[in-house]
Amino acid sequence: MVTGFEAALLSLAFLVPFLLLLFGFPPYLRMLTRMGRVSEDVHKSPPTKVPEPAGPILFVGAVVGELVVAVGFHSWVPVAILLGAGVAFAVGLWDDLFVLGGKAKPLLLLIAGLVFVGLIVFKPNLYSPVLSFPILGDTSPHFTIYTVLAVVAFPVVANAFNMMDAFNGEVSWFTLLTSIALLVGVTLHDIATAGFSLARVAATLPLVAVAAAFLLFNRYPAKAFDGDSGSLMFGAMFAGLAITGGVEVAAMIAIVPAILNSFYTLSSVRGFVERRRMASRPTYIGKDGLLYASAEPEAPTTIVRLVLLAGPLSEKDLVKNIIALTGVACLLSVAISVLTWVY
Amino acid sequence: MKLAPLIAIEVAAFLLIIGETYFFFTFVVPLGAIPHNLGEYTGFALLKVALTVGLGALWFLVMLGMTRVYVRSKLRTLTPMPSS
Repeated sequence: MVTGFEAALLSLAFLVPFLLLLFGFPPYLRMLTRMGRVSEDVHKSPPTKVPEPAGPILFVGAVVGELVVAVGFHSWVPVAILLGAGVAFAVGLWDDLFVLGGKAKPLLLLIAGLVFVGLIVFKPNLYSPVLSFPILGDTSPHFTIYTVLAVVAFPVVANAFNMMDAFNGEVSWFTLLTSIALLVGVTLHDIATAGFSLARVAATLPLVAVAAAFLLFNRYPAKAFDGDSGSLMFGAMFAGLAITGGVEVAAMIAIVPAILNSFYTLSSVRGFVERRRMASRPTYIGKDGLLYASAEPEAPTTIVRLVLLAGPLSEKDLVKNIIALTGVACLLSVAISVLTWVY
Repeated sequence: MKLAPLIAIEVAAFLLIIGETYFFFTFVVPLGAIPHNLGEYTGFALLKVALTVGLGALWFLVMLGMTRVYVRSKLRTLTPMPSS
């Protein structure tokens, strides 16, 4: 049973980062504009200028939220989350400011995973090397292979989030929906498991809060772009929370659209290629202002191109379709969580 | 329902991820946990690698196959247009 104090802490874990970003965003965006840090929104005709990167203020929001949880619940889980997310944020900021190569980014992101699992030396109960499946039950513990996969999960998931960051509101909606599915899974795990810490549930709330606040500024027509610093941080936080929350399977299912998108992109361009250096684009804007799928055979396959193959769409409707696909994956994820922890 | 084919691909990916992850952790990882000699150990290690690659290849081929069928069916109705 949750006590009044714990309920207050849970509320603070959501409200503090949410309100901080809600009131912090307008002055931060004005500052970015004054500094000339604006990017062209290439999917508008004519292109508009949008402040970028919002990653630093999103990271501040995440840090404040996780610190509330760390202090309130005396837990190391938020520290582990922040270590992994901090490295991913730094790699993303480096890419925002100086542009990293296609292969350098995933390699540097391995450091996020190494730092995260490194903390288990000091805190052995940070995660359990067991996967829980619906109906079939738990696997036996496999520390070595689980830890290797946990390290690799950081670059994989962070890059998957990064690749979902192409249109107004796409990454913010995606992060919000998947983090809510993750929150449901961790909460059910907490209810079903005796001695499971409420801190793990609380540590998920800052990600939901940051994504919700960012959505208000990133939805169509976008007033802010997160940059790689924001999307990589979102992905690293998600990976860390799935591992510490013990809901890896449900989390994998929630991000299936991003996994498919990464798989399509990597298999069609045959490797890690920085998007700015891709030879041809998967989509283009027609004279009617709608987005079309490229019919070029060598155009990269992305989930956006697959959606547009069914017919041209406005940017707003395209993102609605991506949200629908993400929503289906999140419903499947919640079903997996219910089947695993309730039945 | 324009998204139905993509949702079918998504559900196939979901089922394969669940099934393959369970198979990997339940059958592949514990394979040959207590080997009796070096030859047996090497044999199990090679079998583990082969099964892991096989699981990855199965996911890859099913996803690629379903996507190719979808893309080909849609590209037949598309004509290349010059970008604006």
